[in-house]
Amino acid sequence: MLKGAEIVLRCLRAEGIDLVFGYPGGAIMPLYDALDGSGVRHILTRHEQGAVFAAEGYARATGKVGVAMATSGPGATNLVTGIADAKMDSVPLVCITGQVRTAMIGTDAFQETDVFGMTLSLTKWSRLVRTIEEIPSAIAEGFHWARSGRPGPVVIDIPTDVMKAKMEFAGAVKFIPHAKPSDVHAESGFSEKLIAMLQAAKKPVALVGAGAKISGAVSDLRRLLDHLNIPTIATVHGLGAVPPEAPYYLGMVGMHGTRASNTALHETDLLLVFGARLDDRVTGDPTRFAPDARIVHFEIDPAQLDRVRACELPVIGDLADTIPAFHREVKKISLPDWSEWRAVAGGPERAELDPRGLSQSTVRFLDELFSRLPENSFVVTDVGQHQMWAAQRYRSSFPRGFVTSGGLGSMGFALPAAIGVQMAKPDALVVCVSGDGGFQMNIQELATVRRLNLPIKNVIIDNKYLGMVRQWQQLFYARNYAETDLSDNPDFVAIAEAYKIHASRLGEEAMREFPVTEQTGDALERFLHSSEPELLVFDCQPEANVYPMVPAGAALSEMLFEED
Amino acid sequence: MHAFHIRYRNTQGTLMRILNAASRRALDLPYVKASAAGQEHSVTLLLEANAKQIGQLCRDWHAIVDVTDVRVGAPPKDLADLEAQWSSTPHPPASAGIRNTSASAART
Repeated sequence: MLKGAEIVLRCLRAEGIDLVFGYPGGAIMPLYDALDGSGVRHILTRHEQGAVFAAEGYARATGKVGVAMATSGPGATNLVTGIADAKMDSVPLVCITGQVRTAMIGTDAFQETDVFGMTLSLTKWSRLVRTIEEIPSAIAEGFHWARSGRPGPVVIDIPTDVMKAKMEFAGAVKFIPHAKPSDVHAESGFSEKLIAMLQAAKKPVALVGAGAKISGAVSDLRRLLDHLNIPTIATVHGLGAVPPEAPYYLGMVGMHGTRASNTALHETDLLLVFGARLDDRVTGDPTRFAPDARIVHFEIDPAQLDRVRACELPVIGDLADTIPAFHREVKKISLPDWSEWRAVAGGPERAELDPRGLSQSTVRFLDELFSRLPENSFVVTDVGQHQMWAAQRYRSSFPRGFVTSGGLGSMGFALPAAIGVQMAKPDALVVCVSGDGGFQMNIQELATVRRLNLPIKNVIIDNKYLGMVRQWQQLFYARNYAETDLSDNPDFVAIAEAYKIHASRLGEEAMREFPVTEQTGDALERFLHSSEPELLVFDCQPEANVYPMVPAGAALSEMLFEED
Repeated sequence: MHAFHIRYRNTQGTLMRILNAASRRALDLPYVKASAAGQEHSVTLLLEANAKQIGQLCRDWHAIVDVTDVRVGAPPKDLADLEAQWSSTPHPPASAGIRNTSASAART
């Protein structure tokens, strides 16, 4: 006879889970009581939001399912932001929450919240387990949906009495999904239509999102793009899928995308979208998005089609199937000569300007930092100006190397996510770039970093403002810097040292010299190659802005530049 | 006004997920009727939505794990007419060169 809690852990092991992130509490105590000897290692964070972001970081770095655990009530509600984050960015995540005893459900018992109800619109699937007999099937089904199709978050809510009950356990079960009449996938027939569209196109563009990485189709995609040799752009989650040195690659697209990418997207007459949702940060004003383009959308999730703009040729299916299928067909024909279009799209008049003005030192700092990273390093960012500067300056062809909260834009993401990444990839260099606002949202996780002695290299780009909000206030709200002043920030170096983490500060004047002095270069090398956790505070110009910028509601062709 | 007919397996939360797709878009739901339908359940919704919202709703509903069929009916003359609308057009997500398959559902 096994307790329900022991069965939960056996089922997790059967799903390949040996690491979970969590925070204990009353209703989930039986599960914690059963951890010892279960083969499942638990990482204690200092807040449930830290646990769920760490589980996300683990999942984003590996493609495996991340698991977070929390108790009922406030433990469960503290997971909600991470669940929403995983939904937006297609991250496979399973959250296991304790619930009050079955008999107490619905009585507003102590620490009772309806986590099942409150996460219905955020989860791909969820289950409030009512009996011990349901545990194996609930876990099997939950993991199936978390990792299948477009991955996403799952919640499994287990009352404490169910975890304490006992039964004979016959072993984990396998979930076999019902067929849906609407299940569809693309066959080779689509290639014929797409080839005809390509042959008619004068200005084709490929747009790469996260889908190619999630599907494990990066190699296939690169081979196809090499063959097509058309101007190619990437969303923030597509970074790393296309080698930045590829001659046809124009960089990141969207609100802070490159001049070349946004212009090409605005001018294209045929847009091939590979695994991107086309959200508003990518499209700008959807009514003026790629106004002349016919759109072909390779996508695994039919729910993402036509969301902001109708596509002419939807190609539903796993990109690992549809990209090779198309490549096989397109190799058989000769493609039009698009050399003139390539030359215009990637030409010198659309090249990025060297940064100048107030952002110059920060951009140079990130260039210096990133240029020193080994190829398979991870850059984890928080949300805000530093995130966009980092995305703009990121130059790596490591597909999963850039980890960020893109869709939800959750401040406080970076530090706990970096913990998850480092746990998943203990030998990799993990650089965590935060702003001074976001870092303080989960600053308590420095204790987790110290406890586990994770050699994460934390960088705070400190401008003493909520910088991205301040930038919008400057540009669109007549410089009314309402409640964005953080000039009373704490001493981050002293805080890190209180957590027994070595910390230092670098003034932005160090980046005014180009190339940097030997002393600055040595300091960066020491920082990156220390075997211990480190914190480096970079003092940014307070009113530095991120450019180019497409104002909200504007077309991609209406970019603002620093010289404006 | 459009009538939507959705079949689903009556698992925990599935009906709420169906209704959420409308409520998150602030669409009023003047008529909802859910009931058992053979081995499954069905729900009929009446709501005012534009063409873009209809497309989004249908795709959202199809993406719900236990939804098995979504159909859009013509605007009813009378609420009583809603009961007879199941002959209306299915609205599955479309892909170029597609065929229906049960195999893709089993893929992980």
